[in-house]
Amino acid sequence: MSNINGKVYAMNAITPMKPWKTWILRGFFFLLGHIKPLQQDLINLSFIEFARWVVLPRRQFPFLGNGQAEEELQYDYLLFFSNFNGTWNQYIDAFSAVLSKGLNLVWRWSEKFPGSVPVTSFKEYIARVQFDTDYYYTAYPHAAANDLKSAHVVQASFDKLAASAQNYTPEQFEDAYLRFVLEVQTHLGETGEAPIVF
Amino acid sequence: MPNKNGSVYGLTILSPIIDDEKVTPSHDLQIRKYLATLPTGELSPFALAPATHLARLVVMDDVIYVGMPACEEHLKSKYLVFESNCDGELDDYLAGLAASVPEQLDAIWSHCVGYPGAANRQAFIDYMKACQLETTFYFAAVNDKSVPETLRALQTQHAVSEFIADHQGMEPARLQAEFMQFVAELKLAPVPRPGSMGEPRYIKTGGRNE
Repeated sequence: MSNINGKVYAMNAITPMKPWKTWILRGFFFLLGHIKPLQQDLINLSFIEFARWVVLPRRQFPFLGNGQAEEELQYDYLLFFSNFNGTWNQYIDAFSAVLSKGLNLVWRWSEKFPGSVPVTSFKEYIARVQFDTDYYYTAYPHAAANDLKSAHVVQASFDKLAASAQNYTPEQFEDAYLRFVLEVQTHLGETGEAPIVF
Repeated sequence: MPNKNGSVYGLTILSPIIDDEKVTPSHDLQIRKYLATLPTGELSPFALAPATHLARLVVMDDVIYVGMPACEEHLKSKYLVFESNCDGELDDYLAGLAASVPEQLDAIWSHCVGYPGAANRQAFIDYMKACQLETTFYFAAVNDKSVPETLRALQTQHAVSEFIADHQGMEPARLQAEFMQFVAELKLAPVPRPGSMGEPRYIKTGGRNE
């Protein structure tokens, strides 16, 4: 069992929903997917590499025959998978503080959801509906979401300077190089092992 | 399409695990045992196969009862959850897995109902698609870069940091010459292997409140 690999934490959660409520949730996710400004808080949090919600209707659990018993469920289920940087407590605290309205719109359709504020009951609920990861892989274990964004900024600036460097006089190159340094200087944070958090 | 965000594909698969009372240890435990020994770094099957940013495998034992007044109910099967964030189109990704790491795939999914094996490429793809769930909402912090592009960018970021630190205050003509030399060397450097820079497996901590 391994929820952590390098700087990422794999979180899994499953919550039951009355089937009629899932359509409201689907409507909310449709709006969230199509109106980009609504995603701004999620983007600004900046420690989520990938996250997804999956509405799983009670009659659509994969059924393959071959002796498998077909599920007979009353609830639809909401699955949540997140890949985030930092600790579980930091993540839930930040979610509750920054995204409380959005989280309430996502999970208020789930049974017994207490609301994302106050954070104590929210944490208790998430801990109850979470299940652990057996195997977790990341292609870049020492990089956080901000490292990835920064690395691509550096690469783009570097490629631009590299493409034209040989055409400059030394003085022109010096100017271009200084502009390059100004562009990338806030994106050069070192990657490495995750800090130990107490 | 909610399964995609930019060029990144969010794959979610739920494979029912074989329930056979005569088998000891049970199939779900055999999966867990195998996953506990599977490397997570450069030798991970997802590092050996192309195009995986992040992936997880989880044995889901049951749905969770949240307490009264909700109804208590249980699944009839346990499920293997495969969650992957990968590049490109689904068929290509699954074909890449089947071609690169068939033994590992078979060792995991042979405990699942109806698994045809990775050797029959099309049957494998069809099986995975039969178990696939449609993602309702998918978020990716960086959604337009492939795994090699990201690994290359992290390598460049690190190298550029060192170059800038080592060349402060240098005379322009020499700086230009050394920069062009640096560009040439970086271009020739191999892209870091996926999963490299990772800690050894023994530091895994588990638990949910760490």
